[in-house]
Order: sequence, then structure tokens, then C-alpha cells
Amino acid sequence: MRKYILTLGLLIPTLLFGQIDRSIRPKAAPAPTINIKDSKVFTMDNGITVILSENHKIPRVSFNLVMGSSPMLAREKAGLSGIAGSLIMSGTESRSKDKIDAEIGYIGARLSADDNSVYLSCLTKHMTKGLTVMSDVIHNANFPQSEVDRIITQNESSLLSTKSDPGAMASNAESAATFPKGHPYGEIMTSESLKNIDRTSIVDYFKKMFTPNGSYLVVVGDINLEETKTAVEKYFGQWKGGKVYKEEWGTGTRNKGNRVVFVKKVGAVQSVINVSFAMNIKPGHEDYLKLNVLNSILGAGGFASRLMQNLREDKAYTYGCYSRARVTNDGSWLSAGGNFRNEVTDSAITQILYEIDGIIEDYVTADELSLMKASMSGSFARSLERPTTVARFALNIIKNDLPKNYYQNYLKALDAITVDDILEVAQKYFTANKCNIVVVGNEEVLPSLLKFDADGEIELMDAFGNEIKETIPSDLTADEILAKYVAAITNDLPRKKLLKKLKKIKTMREVLELSMSQIPFPMKSTSVWISPNQQGEKMEGKGMVFNTSYFDGKTGGTSNMQTGSADLTEEEITVKLMTTGLIPEMNYATSGMKYEVVGIEKFNGTECYVIKMEDGMSEAYDYFDQSTFMKIGSLTIETKDGETQEVLKSYGDFVASEDILFPTTYTLSVGDVVFNGKLVSRELNVDVSLDGFK
Amino acid sequence: MKNILVTGVLASITFSGTAQREIEYIEYDLDNGIHVILHEEHATPIVAVSVMYHVGSKNENSNRTGFAHFFEHLLFEGSANIERGEYSELVEKNGGALNANTSQDRTYYYEILPSNQLELGLWLESERLLHANVDDVGIETQRKVVKEEKRQRVDNQPYATFISEMFMRMFKEHPYNWVPIGSMEHLDAAVEDDYVNFYRTFYVPANATLSIAGDINIAQTKAWIDKYFGSIPKGQAINMFRDFENLSATEFIGKYGIDPSMYDGNDFLNPKDKKAKSVLRKQSNTAIVIPRPEKTDERPNGVIKEIVYDNIQLPGLFMAYRFPHQTHEDMYALEMMNDVLSGGASSRINKSLVEKQQIAQFAFSFAYGLEDAGLGIFAAIAAKDKSLDEIQIAFDAQIELIKNELISQEEFEKIQNQYENSFISTNSTIAGIAESLANNHVYNGGAGKINTELKKYMSVTREDIQRVAKKYLTQDSRIILHYLPKEEDNLEE
Repeated sequence: MRKYILTLGLLIPTLLFGQIDRSIRPKAAPAPTINIKDSKVFTMDNGITVILSENHKIPRVSFNLVMGSSPMLAREKAGLSGIAGSLIMSGTESRSKDKIDAEIGYIGARLSADDNSVYLSCLTKHMTKGLTVMSDVIHNANFPQSEVDRIITQNESSLLSTKSDPGAMASNAESAATFPKGHPYGEIMTSESLKNIDRTSIVDYFKKMFTPNGSYLVVVGDINLEETKTAVEKYFGQWKGGKVYKEEWGTGTRNKGNRVVFVKKVGAVQSVINVSFAMNIKPGHEDYLKLNVLNSILGAGGFASRLMQNLREDKAYTYGCYSRARVTNDGSWLSAGGNFRNEVTDSAITQILYEIDGIIEDYVTADELSLMKASMSGSFARSLERPTTVARFALNIIKNDLPKNYYQNYLKALDAITVDDILEVAQKYFTANKCNIVVVGNEEVLPSLLKFDADGEIELMDAFGNEIKETIPSDLTADEILAKYVAAITNDLPRKKLLKKLKKIKTMREVLELSMSQIPFPMKSTSVWISPNQQGEKMEGKGMVFNTSYFDGKTGGTSNMQTGSADLTEEEITVKLMTTGLIPEMNYATSGMKYEVVGIEKFNGTECYVIKMEDGMSEAYDYFDQSTFMKIGSLTIETKDGETQEVLKSYGDFVASEDILFPTTYTLSVGDVVFNGKLVSRELNVDVSLDGFK
Repeated sequence: MKNILVTGVLASITFSGTAQREIEYIEYDLDNGIHVILHEEHATPIVAVSVMYHVGSKNENSNRTGFAHFFEHLLFEGSANIERGEYSELVEKNGGALNANTSQDRTYYYEILPSNQLELGLWLESERLLHANVDDVGIETQRKVVKEEKRQRVDNQPYATFISEMFMRMFKEHPYNWVPIGSMEHLDAAVEDDYVNFYRTFYVPANATLSIAGDINIAQTKAWIDKYFGSIPKGQAINMFRDFENLSATEFIGKYGIDPSMYDGNDFLNPKDKKAKSVLRKQSNTAIVIPRPEKTDERPNGVIKEIVYDNIQLPGLFMAYRFPHQTHEDMYALEMMNDVLSGGASSRINKSLVEKQQIAQFAFSFAYGLEDAGLGIFAAIAAKDKSLDEIQIAFDAQIELIKNELISQEEFEKIQNQYENSFISTNSTIAGIAESLANNHVYNGGAGKINTELKKYMSVTREDIQRVAKKYLTQDSRIILHYLPKEEDNLEE
């Protein structure tokens, strides 16, 4: 008996029930092999690339038709893409929206569309019915006016909701700060832009963006290759369209230093913080995987990430702090942050910036790297459970021009990454001290944010990423401000004496040298003035004249290297007549210029009186230093053919000519383009004529 | 906003079962009362390890609310053998993912691991059950984290308080009066002992269901389960073991009348000493009584109408009726009724309130079924310049319609097709299967429901739907909340 028990105990030791040394951690069993099933890819005559990932576990199938087009700039119609996307299923020639919803609802399917894709998912037995509707939508979407109106009204309400959604407000501000106005990612729908969206623009959008050429149809599920070929040919083979729309949008905005953007949220008990910067990388790039590992170590890798460990597990500032690297063909950026209680808002920013700096300045530890590699390998393996993953792999290989065996080698490539690689990509793509720091929160946190801003000036934005200028009411009238300005530039010369002096000044010629980082040679700008209101301007460089313009008091014209010559219109002449005299501000009261004081605002960090001028064609704002009354800046906003152009100028280093102060340094910005100007010469009462300017 | 509401909708409907694919599983009880469910499938080399504890916010004291959810946080803080912060690291560095969630009725923990790490997952979960670190450092940190979670998910989210506002008016007696996030003051007021007692009452084998699905070998899995979970003491003996680890010898003798040196931490269940054996046996045979509230019939006494001011721009209407508890026979018909009203783009509420009348930005209803009671919730955010009165009229018209007229045959077939699709599509991941099996075992009367529930839905008739609409959509007993913008927000406009 005793012997028998012993034998049993030796054979199956676990039968000594309850005996266990819990401090011994289980070892992994041999690693399982990971198989990635192949996808099948074929091209249709009309340009659709079909990707099939078969999976017969569940009797269900999905079709995702994705356009190959670039995102489009909507300009004054910001939000057009989203509106158009939500209207794609709003009706066809033969089906009303109600009918589409009823047919799809009846088979328990899902059909959805967005700004560049249409997606169907249904049980295999209902596939024919589902594809019939999907195909009708793709071929015949007709955007009924009533549905357009309804969706626009609905979006008006959504825009209101945005004002109570701190996450949406933060993401709007982040987009506006990270991408410039001329980039689709920097465009945010507002109630103004929504008003500009009409049916015609929606139809145009759909025509331009939705075309078989360059598109992908991703088929996943319980269907084989033959069935797929028959189905896609039947339902999408006849679809025709234009060339695929492609555009290079360039990268996002680069800052000179850290830039704080604050969005006020009344009653907020937490601040949403997003720290972001643009990165210059595209999805197919060889650094892409390394960047992913780097981002995981920083904040995208779950509980083990630095941001999570520091800001949640160590400091308990937040429920979660994460980073996210968005890498697309049209612009890439990193964003790090989360939600933090009001009192720790600045401490949280300090720690996020600390973690970003730290990962740029020093190697990650070998332990961190191996943990993250293991974690990413695991996540890769888990993702294979979903049949859509395999299809997504195939789509990425085609779209981003990756090697055919990219995903087969994924784990090997991941394993080969070293701490040197991580430091290299951190230094290549991350930018310390040049971040956008977006905070959406209670006004009480605002003062604590000032220390993070490089130029000491926090930008205020509304819920839609529009800059808010803080304006204090003016204590002076427009005429008083202008009088003080004139006194300031003429050394307080009594008016009578000044008028006498000005009478003697008949002409002026100014030559500026302008430089701009994008152009390797300096440009020369010459302008002349002949009393009282004749003007000539010329811009030249490298022996070429780019443009000229003149006004002789009665008529005038412009000439441009690219667009040719034109006479001034009557309207333009009227405007020219409003600017008269060497110091035009002295004559506003009589020249017909409309002007009024706006208030006191900051201009490049200086408190200024702002005067708004309207001449009938454009509006302009002049900024007068509140303490010196010198004019240190001006902003001109001109709208032509539905496009708005803003020209921002700043003036500095004032030097006297004939006892009148004029600036000698200038900057001039038009959108992203910035010119720096320096005075070469300014001569009064010299011989000038308009001849060289016609 | 949308996400929060949608999560609520999903949480309220537990689909479980498929028509086409039978989910095979085995189940058994360990001697200490842990229920084990195993599902084997090898399509992907991963495994989901989960433990469902039959404890939620309804098991809390009314002056210690938020405890169940707080424990969900605390139990990632490590154990006697796992350092603080190491729990998640061990999972992640071995290629796994982990998380947990808490409702009024349950607390659920899970890991999804490469299948060769199954033993690690079992060890981790057994450590969590047997002797988690419940100490001040962890309590302090997680207290702050949970406060941030509440601020982020509730206080700073428009309309997000509507669930708690609704429950607190619907249930005056039953602990559904409060919601899982609970009261931050209660968490602040609690001391280490409160936490320890909660752990000793609810984190015990007889209250746990271990559900595993994925690329496993059943025999090997059973052997590991025996090793890590079978060795966990039964009844009050688990707390005796916890005392053995935490109390001084004097304290232990004072409490159990025997010297702790008579026991071996690595072989606690097999002491050599006779007296030690008998003390242990006595503790093992003393069952832990888990306090559970009774199912409740509480319902609003009349129409309760109130205004809640929130940081919002658009007013919102939230309305609740009393539905039965989730396993009540009528719930099948009520859920289908709800789909007629609110299931997808072609549903009645979306078509009428959002698309035709355009008075709501979005509008929906859902059946919120819980273990002891249920709610039928109707919600709508007003479109710009539309009033809550208009929405009320439109909701009431829909409610009267479904009470007074049979739904059409076509609409009925649509709902049936939608259920079929849902049931087939669900259970497509091993993590989903593990959870569904555990849920069905603990709350729905058996893990096997995973394969039979669709039949129950398919047996519901059009007449059943009309009957339950009449029975439960009681216009003279309901709660109506008007969410209106706080004044300061109005002034801003």
C-alpha cells in the first residue's frame, strides 16, 4: 500500500493537492507559430484593386470600398468632406433614404459611408441584397436637396455640442495648431463654413473623390475567390469615373519654440492637455516600425509606457496619459496627453515635456525596449484573430509600397531594433521645445501656463481652432489715436509747422531688400511717391522684374510676370484716392476712408491700439504701440473670387528722414511665406517718375 | 457623448449564442467553489484568461459606495509575490494585454496572452484572488486615479450624469440607488480596514468564475488550474491563510488558538499537526456569507419630473420606465420591442424624431437589464432651437403607437433578421467567448445559454411585443429628466 502511494506521488506530483511555491513564476511553454494567411489580390478593368481575405469561421462577409484619393482642401467650405460623406447614403435615382435604410435594416446588415469609403457587412446569405444597395449608392448617389438641408441643420446643432465637448475642442485646437490653413488637416468646420456648403459642392466632391481609378475593394469573410470575382464584376465592374485625385500636402507647421494654445471651457473640472508636433515621415518609410516602438515606449504601449507610469501610476495626476503617432501620406504628427484635474495642469505639462525631452536626449533602457518589443509582438499575434487584419496587411503593402513579405518578417524586424535605433528616430522625428501645448480647461488654470510659452504670449482659441483676439476697450477715439501717432513720428511738431514741412516734401523713393528662406536670392522692392497721391511699386530679383504697379492720380495699372498686365478698375481707383499724402493717416477724415477704433490688443506681445480701416475692397487693421504710439504692425484682409488672403506686416527700427520717423526693418507674411525686409535707402525730394513702374 | 451612450447601450444587451456555430465548452467546480469554464479553439495561438467576481456596486454599503470599482483598480497593485506595478508589466512583457471592468452586478478581470503563456495568466489571476496587496500606498494612488476617472468620464462629460440621476430616483431602497463610480467622499472616508474587509468578503473562491477560451490543451489546463486555483483554501480558510501571511504570531494565536508555525505557506492545506488540521478544516467548512440584496419591485410613484443643469449647449431629455430584471421572461420581448423603436437607421425613433421631424440631434432608447431590476431608457438631445416639449410629444406618440398597434410583419421579420445577424457576429473573438460564457453562468442561469438564447428571441411573437409594451411603458409611472444648460453657459452665447 505504502509503495503504491509513493509511486503515484512520483508519477503525478500535482496530486499532492495544495502544495505550491507561489514565488516561482511560471515559465513560458514553447512559442506557438504564427501563421499569416495569404490574401488574394486582383485588379479590375476599371481600376479597382480587389483584396480578398477568406475566413469561413462565421457565415458573414464584408466589402469595404476605399478611395485612393488624397484629402481635398475645402477652404471656405471647411467640413465639406464630412458632410458629403454623411450624405452618400441619402438617396439614389431609384431609392430614397428611407428605402435604403429599410432594405439594409431588413437583412440585419450594416451599410455605412464616410468621406472616402463605403462599407457593407452582412450575413453571407444576404450578400446579393446588400451588394445591390451598395452598388446603387456608388453608381447613383444623388444627394437630394431635402437631405442636404437636413444634414446641414443637424450639423449646426452638432457644432453647438462641440462647445460642451472638451475632447473635440482639444482635437480642433490641435489640428489648427499643428497644420497650417492651406492643409486639409488644418481645416475645421465652423458655422460660417457650414453656411458655404451647398449641394453643388457636395456633388462635385463626390465626383472628384469617388472614382474606381486607384480605389481598393477589401473583401473579408465567408466567400471564395471565384464568388468574389463574379460578385465584384457584377456590382462594381460597370462603375466609371475620372482620374484619381492626388495632391502633395506637405508636412505640418514647425514652431520656433513651445507654443501654448488655450481653449476656455466654462465649469471644467479637468484640463484636456494635448502636446503635439508635426513629423516628417510617411507610412511606407523604413523608420516607421522604429517610430512605432519609440511611441510605444513613450506613451502608446499601455501601462508600461513612460507617460502612464509617470503621470498615472507614480503621480496619480490622471486616469490615463497616452501618446499617439499619426502617420499618413498627407501629414504626420505626434500627440501626447490626457485629462488632468485643474490643480495639476501645469505639473502634468511639465512631466509630459520631460518625458518627450528625455526620450530624445538619452537611450531607452534595454529592459524597456525588450518589454515593448514583446508587447508589440503579442499585440501583432492577437490582431491576427480578426479576419480584417489580414486584409489590412495586404492593403498596406499595396498602398504604401511595402515589400511583399513585410508582415511575414514583421516579428523579425521588430526583434532586430536596438536602443541606438530608438535614439536615432527620436532625434530625427521628435522635436523638443517646439511643441504645441493645447489646453482645454477652466480659466483658473490659464496663468499657470504662461511659463511654457516661448514668446510669453498664450494663443486663445475658440472651440473650432480659431484664434481669439483678446480685445480691451479703447480709452481713446480713433482720431485721438491717429493724432498721437502723427505727433509721435514727427517729434511733437506743432500742426502748423508740420503742414508747412510736409508741403515742402514732394517726392520719396524707398528701396528695400527682402529675403525669404524658400528663395535663395534676395529680392529688391522699390517704391516711389509723388505728392499728393501718385505711387509706383516694383518687385525684382535675379535680374527679373516680378511685378509692378502705378497710380498717377487719375489712372493706373498693374503688371505681373505670371498673370500679365491690367488697368486699375474704377473701384480700385476710388480706393487709391483714399490714400493721400506722405502721412495718409492725417487725411483719413477727408479722403473717404472708413475707420474706427477696435480696442486694445496684443501685437507680437505688445499692447496696441487697433484701428480698423475699410476702403470698400479690403479691410485692414493698424496696430499702434500703446505707450509710444508708433505703428508697429498692420494686417490686410482681401477677399477675391471667394478666396481670402491675409497679409501681415510688422515694422521696426524707426529712423528719421527730414525729422519724420520711418521704419527700417520689416517682416511681411502671406500665409506660410515670410519675407524679412531691410531698408536700403530712403530719399526725399529726389527726382522720381512713374516711368519704370508702368 | 455618443461613445458613452453607445457603451451604455451595448452593456445593456448581452447577446449570447449563435444559430450556426455551437460554442463547445466544459465546466466544473473546484472543491473550494471556484467555477471553471473552458473553451478550446486553435484558430489563433492566443488564450483569454478571465475571472468574474459576483460583486458589483449593489453589494456595497450605502456609506461606502464606489468600493467594487475601486477594487478593480486596487487589484492591479500586486500581491505577496508580485511587486507594485509589476502586474501589468508581467502581462505586457510577455506579449499580453489586460484590463478589467465593473458594473452594478459584477467585477471582471481578464488577460489575453500568447497561448504559451497560459500558465502565467493562471498564476497572475490566482495571486489576485488569494492575497492581493491591499495596502495604503496602493490605496492612496488609486484613490486619486479613480477621482480622475470620475472627472474624465462623468463630471467633465456633457449629459454623463444621466445614468446616476436616473438610478438614484428610480431606486430609493435597493442599492442600485448609486452607480459603480460611487462617491469620492466615501472613498476618502474609508480606512485600510474597510478595504481589507471588502476583499475578505467578496474576493473568495465561491464568488469567482474562471473562464478560459482559446488555444489550450484541456488536460494541461486542468492540471495548472488545480495547481494555482485548487490550492486556494476554501471557505473562511482563505482568510485564515491571509491572516497567516499578514498577522504576527501572537495575533494569529489570539485569533485561531494555534501557532502559525504549524502551517507551511507552500503547503497550507496539508499541515502535519493534528490540531492544525482540525482548525483548518473548521475554517474550510465555515462558508463565507456573501451579502446580496433582493430583487426589487420598486417603481416610481407617479411621474417624477426634474431638471438637471449641466455644462451643455443643447438641452436633453432622458426618460426611464421600470423594466424587470434581466433574466425575466419578458425581457426577450422588451429587448425586441426596443429594437423596433431604436435598432439602427430604419428604426422608428430615428426615422421620426431625427429624420422626419428633425427635432432631435440624436435619439434612442435601450433596455438596461440588471440582475435585480431593469430600466427602459429613452434619451434625446434636442436639435438647435427645438424644445424638450416637442421631443416629449414625439416620444409619447411612438410609445402609444407601439402599445396600441401590432408591429407590421415586415418590421417583425427585420428585427428577427437583426437578432440573427447579431448572434452570429458575436462570439467572434475568444475574449468575447470567455466573457459570454462566464456571464451566462453567473447571471443568466447557465453557460449553456450561449447556444440557446437566440431560440428564445425567435419564439417571441408580435403579440408578445405589444403585450410587454403595454405592461412596462407605463405613462403614469416614469421618470423624466430635463437637462438644461447652466446659466453661465447661456450667458456665454
